[in-house]
Amino acid sequence: MTSDPMCAALADAIEPIAAGELTPDATAAAHLSTCVSCAAALEQARRLDQLLRARPAPVPPSDFTVRTLQLIQKAGWRREQMVDWIFNSALIAAALLVAAGIGVALQHTGMPSVGREAFDALSNGMAVFAQRAAPSLPLYAGATGLLVVALGLWWWASDAAL
Amino acid sequence: MEPVRERELVDRCRREEPGAFEELVDQFKHLVFALIARTVPDRSRAEDLAQDVFLRIHRGLPYFRGEARLSTWIYRIAVNVCSQERTEEHTRRGAAQVSLDDPDSHLRAPSTVDRRFSDFELRDRLEKAIRQLPTQYRILIAGHYLQGLQYEDLAEAMQLPLGTVKTQLHRAKRQLRQLLEGELK
Repeated sequence: MTSDPMCAALADAIEPIAAGELTPDATAAAHLSTCVSCAAALEQARRLDQLLRARPAPVPPSDFTVRTLQLIQKAGWRREQMVDWIFNSALIAAALLVAAGIGVALQHTGMPSVGREAFDALSNGMAVFAQRAAPSLPLYAGATGLLVVALGLWWWASDAAL
Repeated sequence: MEPVRERELVDRCRREEPGAFEELVDQFKHLVFALIARTVPDRSRAEDLAQDVFLRIHRGLPYFRGEARLSTWIYRIAVNVCSQERTEEHTRRGAAQVSLDDPDSHLRAPSTVDRRFSDFELRDRLEKAIRQLPTQYRILIAGHYLQGLQYEDLAEAMQLPLGTVKTQLHRAKRQLRQLLEGELK
């Protein structure tokens, strides 16, 4: 651009004129027809506008929708797992707090001897149960193993489906 | 997409109707992907970011109040993702400048440089010049020249007044023109 004040005044109008959003008035039009610099700027702005319009829009891959839905499903699955984990942790923490509270309460109320007796009775009961269940232990172990394998297969199948 | 149909689609997605969200992705994937891919040059990164946009849409739909149009809300998410990516990219690269010059150009004698660039070369130069623009300008250029996006959509998506969007777009083009001066013939 030259130091012509009209050139400076037109500088901000070149792009709107090139885009067809602004029509130059008579003075501007006269200047554009005589000023080589401004006319060249307008021509370049028009060429740039054409180039920008002709830019091809990038196209997403054909499996974009499928992959996006899979990602969303997986994210939902992870979120559920996280919620489960938080819930279970809170449950365990609450159980530990309750147990600790009971222990402290027993200490303060002078009931430890009663607690000890109850503990002994529970231990004896468990020992009797273990003696009775011992002959069927392989059966229980087999059933537990089958349950673990089934749960493992279910988990694997769910994960593979995602 | 008409506003009524957009609202229906949002309601169906909220009810988790089978196929509703798939329809939403199909409806907007071209615009979202094109907007991001024009702002982020790495295609695989652009794909990840476009998927991230739809993940955010899926999470945000229950909280979408419908004050803006669905399309505007989606463009806004896409624009935010682009802006964040550009900020992270700048941090990673230390705001390195992309050279407009061909890396091998110094090997050529000035007399052999053809001032009349072919369209292919010019397009390549244009892409490099666009990469030099500030993030906001890049997003404006990317969005404005996408079919289906109006000034009003961009203004709402970028939360800027309409006049500001127009002014910034013209400034972006002026900056581009200055970067490509001598080649736009």
